[in-house]
Amino acid sequence: MKKIRHYYLAAVIQSALLAVASPVARAQDATTDGYVTRKEYEELKAQMLAMKKELDAIKKEKGAIPKQESAEGQAIVDMHKEVAPPVVEPEGPMLGTTKFYLAGWAEGMFEARNGSVSTFSASFNPIFLWELSPKLLFESRLEIEPSGSGTNVNLVYAQLTYLLNDYITLGVGEFFSPSNVFVERFEAQWINKLPDRPLAVYHGILPNISVGAEVRGGFPIGPTRANYALYVSNGPTLNTFDPRTAGTLDFSSYTDNNDDKAIGGRVGFLPIPGVEVGYGFETAKPGFQGTTFAHVRSLLQSVDLEVTRDSDLLKGRIDLYAQYAWSKVDHAVYDPDGSLGFGPLSLTGKRDGGYALVAYRPTKIDIDFIRNLEMIFRWDHLSRAPSGLGAPEEERWTLGLDYWLSPSTVVKAAYEWDNPRGERNRNALLLQAAMGF
Amino acid sequence: MIATLNFIRVPVIGLVLFVLAGLAWNASAGSKEKRQKQDASSASDSYMGLSGEELWSNNCLRCHNIRPPTMYSNAQWDVIVHHMRIRANITGQEQRAIVEFLKSSK
Repeated sequence: MKKIRHYYLAAVIQSALLAVASPVARAQDATTDGYVTRKEYEELKAQMLAMKKELDAIKKEKGAIPKQESAEGQAIVDMHKEVAPPVVEPEGPMLGTTKFYLAGWAEGMFEARNGSVSTFSASFNPIFLWELSPKLLFESRLEIEPSGSGTNVNLVYAQLTYLLNDYITLGVGEFFSPSNVFVERFEAQWINKLPDRPLAVYHGILPNISVGAEVRGGFPIGPTRANYALYVSNGPTLNTFDPRTAGTLDFSSYTDNNDDKAIGGRVGFLPIPGVEVGYGFETAKPGFQGTTFAHVRSLLQSVDLEVTRDSDLLKGRIDLYAQYAWSKVDHAVYDPDGSLGFGPLSLTGKRDGGYALVAYRPTKIDIDFIRNLEMIFRWDHLSRAPSGLGAPEEERWTLGLDYWLSPSTVVKAAYEWDNPRGERNRNALLLQAAMGF
Repeated sequence: MIATLNFIRVPVIGLVLFVLAGLAWNASAGSKEKRQKQDASSASDSYMGLSGEELWSNNCLRCHNIRPPTMYSNAQWDVIVHHMRIRANITGQEQRAIVEFLKSSK
């Protein structure tokens, strides 16, 4: 660009020279026979030299301009450096600013159960994950579902965890109760193979959610592996006001009713890949502080088994999940003075229940449609309420068929034979579509 | 108070002893294994004789279908595997091997 400018300037000056010289030459022609005198020649030469000198001066001046501009730009850059230090690219994620991920699942369901009106239902369950640093993770899940004429929004869990080292993780907040392996691993409806959840371990005799602090992790033992979780939490509340539920535990209240804290945990052992056995427990004082139930203690225990095997013989994958739990609440007298209208009711609160599920998916068959099918069979059971006045013993058998549209999108159909003892059956047809994301 | 301690001592003490024994075993075996690994210059994605792919498959399939590595970006896998490490109680070494496999197999 600069070169073009210089050529343009030189052309203008040369044109001016010609313009000046031409009338002189023409005048000469007019007055002489075509030659100039020595004097005229000297004058023209002097003019030419003067103009050349002037042109050189102009060229020199123009050539200095870019250098001056460059020097000014450098000065601005230098000034910026003084005012604002250069931005340093972070080597890792900056605390609290990066690695946010929205996961979760959604489902829609239809249920036609004997003795109840048939109904559709739906829920959206976003899981918010913030990796605040490679060691620090905050995670939370909401459950959003239509209910009555409105929408229910529940905080399912909200927990901050810190990876202390390769084998120990510390956590605090509201979290899935580690003593109950079902809620930790299979509760999400795109993971749970049937449309509904098993008796006893889900909203039954084990806690789903705990509010407190936990330490957990896994470690190898020779060729095998073990994992563990130990927590302290607010614990359950003892039901004392209703004869139907007396001696049972309420896990839906997340605030504590006394100074005692529940202690619980689970230990799992993996003798070979794909096989895990576990034992979970929780002990607490569930009675209200200052009442006659304040010293009553509860103990919940659970054993579980998870097996996942690929079989060439069966051309597919077999999953076997089982969990059984026992609940015991110390002996106590409910409504001792009869003021509630049902006492005195003396009992030790014992209850048990669990489930076993087997699923088969022909993953090694070459036909897509068949490979995406999964057949499920589940048995689940819950013993009667301890007082004998509430929920009867219940046993269910469920047969299901799933079709997997993607690894985390499934359409489920199931029929459930539900037989509460002494009551008419509550058999149900269940249909559900669920998607994890 | 004494009665309370008696009531809970069996499961609590049992769990604590199990965890401590496991960690102690691992600590003693870990240093030996580390030396062997250094000597043999073993692959960084190998742990307990299982590759990152095997760890990914074994751990994820225990509960749910596995999602292909291409389904998420590297940054998303970092967060997802961090989350799953806590939920499934896998070790830090397993976490790193799984993430390395997921990122390298795209």
